[in-house]
Amino acid sequence: MTGEECKTLSHALAVAIREASATGKLAGKDLLLSSLKERGIPGFEEQESPDMEALLAQTLATHRDLAALTSITGETLYHSPTLLSRTYASILDRKGSPVVLIAEEVRMNSAQYPRPIPPDLFERAPFDLSPAEIEAALKCMAMSSEFQDISFTTTSTGAVYLFSTRHLERPYAAFLAERADTGLLSNP
Amino acid sequence: MATTNGGFAGKVLRVDLSTGKISFDDTVERYREVLGGTGIGYKVIWEEVSAGVAPFDAANKIVFATGALAGTGVPCNGRTAVTTLFPSCWPKPLVASGHMGGQFAAKLKYAGYDALIVEGKSDKPVWLFIRDGRVEIRDARHLWGTGIRRTTLEISQEMGPECAVAAIGQAGENLVPLSVVMNSVSHSAGGVGAVMGAKNLKAIGVQGSGSVRIAGDRSEWERLVKFHLSILGGNNQHVVPSFPDPHSEYYNPRSRWVGAPGRRWGAADPPVEINGGLYDLNRIAFRSNSGAFFLGEQAWKHTVRGNGCTGCPIRCHTILKVPSIAAKYGIREIAQNTCGGLNFGRAFFKALPGGLQSQAALEACMVGMHMADDMGVWCNYGQLQRDLIKLYYDGTLKAKIGSLEYASYSWDKYESGDPLFLFEIIPRVAMRQGELAQGLGLGTGYLLDHWSIPEEVWTKDSACAYWKLGHPKHHANEDDGQCGVIINTQYNRDSQCHSHVNFIRNGLPLEVQKKLAAEIWGAPEAVDGVGDYTPMNMHKARRARWSLVRKELHDSLGLCNWMGPWVASPLKERGYSGDDSLESRFYSLATGQQTSREELDLIGERIFALHRALTIRDMGEMDMRTRHDLAPRWIYQDTNGAQAFTRGTIRMDPQDIAKAMDMFYELMGWEKATGAPTADAYARLGLKSVAEDLAAKKLLPGAKQ
Repeated sequence: MTGEECKTLSHALAVAIREASATGKLAGKDLLLSSLKERGIPGFEEQESPDMEALLAQTLATHRDLAALTSITGETLYHSPTLLSRTYASILDRKGSPVVLIAEEVRMNSAQYPRPIPPDLFERAPFDLSPAEIEAALKCMAMSSEFQDISFTTTSTGAVYLFSTRHLERPYAAFLAERADTGLLSNP
Repeated sequence: MATTNGGFAGKVLRVDLSTGKISFDDTVERYREVLGGTGIGYKVIWEEVSAGVAPFDAANKIVFATGALAGTGVPCNGRTAVTTLFPSCWPKPLVASGHMGGQFAAKLKYAGYDALIVEGKSDKPVWLFIRDGRVEIRDARHLWGTGIRRTTLEISQEMGPECAVAAIGQAGENLVPLSVVMNSVSHSAGGVGAVMGAKNLKAIGVQGSGSVRIAGDRSEWERLVKFHLSILGGNNQHVVPSFPDPHSEYYNPRSRWVGAPGRRWGAADPPVEINGGLYDLNRIAFRSNSGAFFLGEQAWKHTVRGNGCTGCPIRCHTILKVPSIAAKYGIREIAQNTCGGLNFGRAFFKALPGGLQSQAALEACMVGMHMADDMGVWCNYGQLQRDLIKLYYDGTLKAKIGSLEYASYSWDKYESGDPLFLFEIIPRVAMRQGELAQGLGLGTGYLLDHWSIPEEVWTKDSACAYWKLGHPKHHANEDDGQCGVIINTQYNRDSQCHSHVNFIRNGLPLEVQKKLAAEIWGAPEAVDGVGDYTPMNMHKARRARWSLVRKELHDSLGLCNWMGPWVASPLKERGYSGDDSLESRFYSLATGQQTSREELDLIGERIFALHRALTIRDMGEMDMRTRHDLAPRWIYQDTNGAQAFTRGTIRMDPQDIAKAMDMFYELMGWEKATGAPTADAYARLGLKSVAEDLAAKKLLPGAKQ
């Protein structure tokens, strides 16, 4: 493949990644290959081609607005953080596994902001889990050693908030949950 | 209108209701050094109202003042500061201001005026007609006794649809200290209604055919306006949405940016779908819905649209339409307001069936808005309602009022959270009917005095949220540790400062907030996690000072301190930073007077110092530290016994707060022992004559006693 061909393909891949991000999709190699085929751009027949790996690496190096993340399946996925933030991309990636989706979101919120979060957050977009799915995931976590850090606290109104004991001490989680549940609503 | 200066309309209108005299001052010549808004208000009170004058005396004045940026294209520019001696300030009325949004500020500017000073007292009810250069004191006897809505309607019919009407309701007429003046249906300035009532001034109708001249380059102005729009968030400058969004790395379930793709203004005709694109500058108004924030999901189907002030895309006054309310309570099915006004009815109840976001809560909000926004009752930032809760549930109330009066209230409805109770309590407060309602309407300090209840009973109860001087906290240690405490010690009413809390609640992760804090206030330690407070440091003092100065600047430029400052933004590409020089850049372009951020901040500090000087003069007391800059006992307590500086408590440490005040006074150039500005501090701010006046009264540190 000539340098010019590489440049053309790299550009086409970047366009495909951005288009996917703009429509709320993460781009895996399958999607990128089919996108290239749809555009009539030859050069790749299968995704395991070593050239594909190198070209994607080159694409990321050239197009600094693009990024890669390792999926929970181990696959490398590509996105444009400007159009599809890392946070949002991670949620999309985990949507197939409610247990991981909830656990990682709870951990991230506890570590980063920090704050506990209400389970009904997961009923809303982009999580889109049903109450039954949330309940089943929480039960599953309770029985798995991998998720023993996922805990909950109950506010004065009886509302439940989830947090990770890795990142939040229980009394502080309780304080923050009460603030979110009643404090901020009655302190305009 | 003067055309030599941009930004300013050019004149200050003065109306003497005792003599009927109408006169004009040149704004720039006489008031530029204090900008406008509270700056003009404090200056007028300092120069023209002597210490010892009472709020309802004819000698008291009430100043409606906007600022150089009001009525322009600057986002969030619709503010009018209403400054006077506050009747609810206890034990002695002192200067304070209420602030209203709506359309009044812009209309006043378009009529040619930056401010309106009302003095004297009419011998009969009047209203003020202002149409450009035509100013008339008109008979309001036919309006006296009517509510704000009726008054607004009648005056609008007389003046035409382009006018803005600021009116008082029955509460103001009856000299209830907790009363408002309200314009544009729902935009009120609290605590000042009765001062208008005492002057027999029912309303002000204003209409203008002019415009505000921008002195600077037009394209530069437009670029700056667009830039400002780009760094706006949702209500209260919450810069992340309440839900994960593809464009945002961060979100916060308790953000007031609640508008999301898939939401719907269900009571609009036809309903309006929110289809995304919330980062589009033409769709900012879809981000906020105060009804949905406070009342939850149910509010979406009742939402007609967001309403708001001149030039503000946030539209925080949500219009709610609830047809069942009309059938059930016999009131209007539509109401609109935000924050304390929206929650006026809900806040009366200790508990509501189904909680804070229930149908009962929605109904209580609708009934509350219907009554309070017509009768013009002020909630004193929720203290009116908290006072009733405490009096009732402590058993004090039953002991203090007569059995007949006690029996005249449906306490079963009160306890069960039935909004019908509001029909019993709110009108009685407005009409001063009965011991309880009269007491509540006085404001906390005078109520406690009247019933011989020690203030300490309130100051030690955190549920009361009472702070000092008859007023409550307003974003204190529960939001912002020592910074919040310092800010809440400074004013003669609740502090109304949002510079600090809008940053704390902006929704960004603590690490990002600390990065921004380092850029703005010099160190990441200027900000703590909420309820994870660390000992006091100079950077927090610097942030407290900045917060207060920016509040006064906003109040004096016509900008909204409920929305600003804009030092954080939703923009990932900017590292979520906003712009700390926005106010000075707008001011420079509008007026044509190149003014740096530091120079404008100095003017803000001057205005704040004038408030301080007025407080010292009217208290006749230099020792602000122990007599004025007080904090309630409850901030030093924790219901679970947690110690200060442990995670999960807002408890403060007395020695640390003393240190905080030391640091703050030092930064301000005030004497540490008294908290009074020194002669040098006044001189640095161009207030030498103020220092001389205070020295003559022996109210200046170092002056011969």
